[in-house]
Amino acid sequence: MRRMQDDPARSCEAGSPSAEIPRQWLEEFEAAARRPLRERFRYAFIRTYKPVLDDAPFRAFDTMEDYRRWCEENLPDWLGYGRV
Amino acid sequence: MGAFEYRQAEEIRDAFRRHGVRYLFLGKSGAILLGFPDTTQDADLFVERSPENCRSLVPALTELGFSLTAGQSAEIERGKDFVQLKNGPFDLDLVFAPDGIERFADAWQRHVEVEGFPVCHLDDIIASKAATNRQKDKESLPRLRSFREYWMRHTPGKRGTP
Repeated sequence: MRRMQDDPARSCEAGSPSAEIPRQWLEEFEAAARRPLRERFRYAFIRTYKPVLDDAPFRAFDTMEDYRRWCEENLPDWLGYGRV
Repeated sequence: MGAFEYRQAEEIRDAFRRHGVRYLFLGKSGAILLGFPDTTQDADLFVERSPENCRSLVPALTELGFSLTAGQSAEIERGKDFVQLKNGPFDLDLVFAPDGIERFADAWQRHVEVEGFPVCHLDDIIASKAATNRQKDKESLPRLRSFREYWMRHTPGKRGTP
């Protein structure tokens, strides 16, 4: 059985600013802090193809609302750009 | 096109400085600059939407290698809320009016410098992610808020938002 405290995302009480930092995340934060920024970049930035989103060289939106709506109407749900 | 590299972040910093562009790293790329261990695909820049700044932005982007048509340049100069660039050496999102942040000047007052990179304060990064109400941001918020706790404890002089 998976307990709440086994899941860092849940054990920090939905991200309450005053919550304790889950041990697993704390270890990750500390490990990252020991790495120089250049090295952190190498681990952090990845490149994968995102359907539709990556298919045009330039897009501009008058408002953020226009952009959010365009994402919801055009991108696959699994990309996570839809509002909840 | 490969993943965004430290060298390219330096190129942005240097080109924008030469052209006097006022901007801040925002989003997960900003959090990563502050030490947040996570992955992302592109860099998000919060650019001040003033006529002078938007005019300076176009030659800076051209110098970085973005191929902009006259029409695209005009759209950037007009300072639309959001511009997505995939016509250069790396992907870049230009955000002129991020959700959750009232004014550029406020974010600038709170910003943090990391190796010469101007970065939004974590409170602003969290506020903008929370305000989008997107699934992908909602999932990353608990870990980001935990990182804020860690960062505030370990980085002296980093005031939080009141």
